[in-house]
Amino acid sequence: MITIEWYKQFRRPLTYATLSIVAAFSVILTVALVATGSGQTEFVGDLPLLIVPRTSGFSVPIIALSSTMKFFLPLAVSLFAGQSVAGDAAWGSLRYAMARPMSRSRILWSKATVAAGLSLLAVAISVLAALVIGGLAFGWHPLSVIDGSTSTPGHPQVDVVRVGALLGHLGIAALYVGAGMASIFAVAFFLSTTTRRPLVAVAGGVAVTIVSRIFNADYLPGVQVMNRFMPNNDIDLWQHLLTRSASLSGIPHFLVLQAAYVVVFMGLAQLWFTRKDILD
Amino acid sequence: MIGIELVKQLRRNGYWAVLGSLAAIAAVVTVIIATTSAATPERLGNYGSVIPNSSGFTMAAIALNALLLFLIPLSVAIFAGESVAGEASWGSLRYILARPTSRNRVLASKVAVAGILSLAAVLIVSVAGLLFGVAAFGWHPLSVIDLQHASPFSSGVTTLSPFAALGRIVFATAIVAGVMVSTFSFAILCSVLTDRPFAAVAGGVLLTFVSRALDNVPGLHALGPWLPITDKGSGLWTEVLFQPTDLGGLPHLAIVQVVYAITFLGAAGLYFNRKDILS
Repeated sequence: MITIEWYKQFRRPLTYATLSIVAAFSVILTVALVATGSGQTEFVGDLPLLIVPRTSGFSVPIIALSSTMKFFLPLAVSLFAGQSVAGDAAWGSLRYAMARPMSRSRILWSKATVAAGLSLLAVAISVLAALVIGGLAFGWHPLSVIDGSTSTPGHPQVDVVRVGALLGHLGIAALYVGAGMASIFAVAFFLSTTTRRPLVAVAGGVAVTIVSRIFNADYLPGVQVMNRFMPNNDIDLWQHLLTRSASLSGIPHFLVLQAAYVVVFMGLAQLWFTRKDILD
Repeated sequence: MIGIELVKQLRRNGYWAVLGSLAAIAAVVTVIIATTSAATPERLGNYGSVIPNSSGFTMAAIALNALLLFLIPLSVAIFAGESVAGEASWGSLRYILARPTSRNRVLASKVAVAGILSLAAVLIVSVAGLLFGVAAFGWHPLSVIDLQHASPFSSGVTTLSPFAALGRIVFATAIVAGVMVSTFSFAILCSVLTDRPFAAVAGGVLLTFVSRALDNVPGLHALGPWLPITDKGSGLWTEVLFQPTDLGGLPHLAIVQVVYAITFLGAAGLYFNRKDILS
């Protein structure tokens, strides 16, 4: 069942287009860095953390993940999750899928599994493509990181992170960002079971991302109380892995939050889909 | 013709949902700030800073500032992108063209209605922010700190009387609406090019992202003034709230927006007039 769904999704141009755009982003980023100033220092997210892209190819996946995790990756995830059930409904083929001798739950969960697999693939491609292209452009060298929080004027605190440690950090970062997409995935997937217009479900996932960005205390300090419960706000905590005084205390809370979103919205999807009058 | 279009669009639920969520987010932001951190300074644009509970006018500016990055461009792209492609996806575009009016007039009325709705989207943000803000923090003079010009010799604080603040918020809203013109025109062009409203809306949003991304590439600063949406252009409205007001960038911004509008809308008109409309 999962295999059938997997093949079906993989034959769609949308899947290829989305995954290629995610990969292409890394290429464009690398070209832009090479063309414009790979010798200049770049901040990592909002942290007082500086890297010089030219010194190591590992800077590219760090920059790529930092710039895609707040919009492009949520968009790709919303596309995969939002399309999965509503896409069939839009084609009018959902009722034929239901005619197969299988429970609705099983159909729903195989669709969810495939959409989740594609979403994780998007995150993995984002990191791997950047790692390969960045490495080709700048070499797989140890990365020098300037930690602004422990530096004093005239005495920058430069840490050199070894290749093995970098690979480990990137692996953890990819897993963390992948886990952080779960809330957006669950919302878009739930909406996908409620509508026959894939656009609505995809837009719902994107809307959750945008609302999360608006209620982000980094940009609007007054909404501090909401910040902890927004699905996409703490997605940047992995960047602390590169700092000397790694403050990773927010990570467990964020992962629990993701699990809560998944339980609520996947539960609603299950409830809705098993009771729905399917006409498309 | 414009009247028919407007009535037709206003009957659709999607439009009320978009306008309603803009007002709702302004309301939620106000409620949260009022109940939890009314005295925490909030940033406006690149250099402005206000303390929410000093005046209700702050909330209009904070709401504009918070929604300017994503939600207002998205709403504009939705209204503009839906206009022609929405009709095509319902399959009713060819019946509209069967009416004894020129294609130019059909397109012009669709653009006019999408324009009115987009303007309403920008307006509703500052109006909702103003109403909720005044309800929460009162009708007091507005004080804005200009962090760029604050120094040991000058506090950089501008204080405006309530009516002056109201006038300046209206002016600021108009500038924000003006910055949306390029996004709007590009989404209209996309809407004419495709039958799928989603693609047209995505096209409008994509323009803002590509433009902002190019704006932030360190080596491409020469390109900055000519891009449709930039950090500088989007932040220009905060100047209106400062004293002295430096609106030197406004004519250039207006010219750039008008040039994009003429290009994209002109291309949309040319294509729509020659298109083989099948849906």
